[in-house]
Amino acid sequence: MTPHDWYVEHRAAWVAGSLDAREQEIFADHLPRCEECRAEVARLERELAWLPMAAAPTAPRPGLTRQIAERVLRRPPAWRRYAPALAAAAVLVAALGLGVRERRRVTEVEVLLAQRNLRLAALEDTLSVIRGAARVVQRDISMDGHRGGLLIFQDETSHRWNVVVHGLPAAPAGTVYQFWFVTESGMVRSVELPMDRGRPAFATVSMPPIPAAIMGAALTVEPMLARSDRPEGREIAHVDF
Amino acid sequence: MPRGRTADRPATGIALADQTGLRARLVARDEAALVELIELATPWLLGLVQGMLQDQDEAEEVVSGVFATAWERVGTLGDEHETLMPWLLRVARNRAIDRLRRRSRLRRKAARLEAYDAAGPASVPFHEPDESGQPGWHVHRSVHAALGALPEEQRAVVQLAYFGGRTHSEIAEELGIPMGTVKTRLRLAFDKLRASLAPIRDWVP
Repeated sequence: MTPHDWYVEHRAAWVAGSLDAREQEIFADHLPRCEECRAEVARLERELAWLPMAAAPTAPRPGLTRQIAERVLRRPPAWRRYAPALAAAAVLVAALGLGVRERRRVTEVEVLLAQRNLRLAALEDTLSVIRGAARVVQRDISMDGHRGGLLIFQDETSHRWNVVVHGLPAAPAGTVYQFWFVTESGMVRSVELPMDRGRPAFATVSMPPIPAAIMGAALTVEPMLARSDRPEGREIAHVDF
Repeated sequence: MPRGRTADRPATGIALADQTGLRARLVARDEAALVELIELATPWLLGLVQGMLQDQDEAEEVVSGVFATAWERVGTLGDEHETLMPWLLRVARNRAIDRLRRRSRLRRKAARLEAYDAAGPASVPFHEPDESGQPGWHVHRSVHAALGALPEEQRAVVQLAYFGGRTHSEIAEELGIPMGTVKTRLRLAFDKLRASLAPIRDWVP
């Protein structure tokens, strides 16, 4: 028995509609792929087409045929019957599209807001250091004929400094402006201060977590990516407290 | 006598000679043709569906739906070999089977089903009312004779499968025979019926 014999044996059952649910699925899956079975099933259906007329006729109750005719003729065409559903679907799709777009906009606004909040928090933090400063140190500095200044706000409560440098040219190629703490036990590297935008450079820095007393600060020009724990380049400013 | 028919009700008064091109007129959206079709076919569709469902209300719903489908889709009947009446019968039977299975699944009419099951499976009425004036009656007589010529055990399987919407396994359980026997009997019965029904031609042009 070949696998196809199963389908041959079950053609009659398919036409009768008596296959079990699983068999029905299997046969339905096979039919579109088998020309022979399709042709045989069509022939069987054609040859048995009159079998339903084995049932004796039942006279309709009075008025039924008229009711059916009226119902059928009054029935709106398919496109009109489905129009409300189609319209509703279109509205839904549009609403979904709008919703997606609006949701995207909301997300963009949320991201923007988060960025603004971060920036605002940073500015507030900077301002709090400046406003809470127990000491403010200011020094005039110069570099290659440019005159500028170094301003340090020291907030003893939060153990942070706000450092502002202005008036200096951009650091020479391959170098950066480096800020240092001067402590009892030596120099401690802090932050790099970019001066390439023609505007003052701001930095809020934490005081080094060492027990040694902080005695001052320095600003030097160091080779880019230098990691030495002591200045090797040209000193621009040195402040003693 | 099936319910709804009065003994002296005249047979549907449409002469076959007047029915030429009913399908073509339906395609042309001739509403009078639809009324004629309904008058002609309703007794047969109702007889079939009501016999299967054992429920007049549901049967009328199904038949009404079949005509709605026919009115909507008659123009799409592309196959010239697809004749109108067998098409209507097939649609009606399929819908009745759908209803039978849905009913079975959902158990919506449990009380009615109990009575229905107690009375035995649905069967094609084999009474012989004098309906010789009914258009299509000659077809019924031929089909009836073909079915009646089957051995009893084969006819029972056809009744249950084709008109009762039962599956193989349900029939096997109901008749207490192996499933393979059910399949064989159905196949043999169909082979005989094919030969017997082959000469029948459509009576609705």
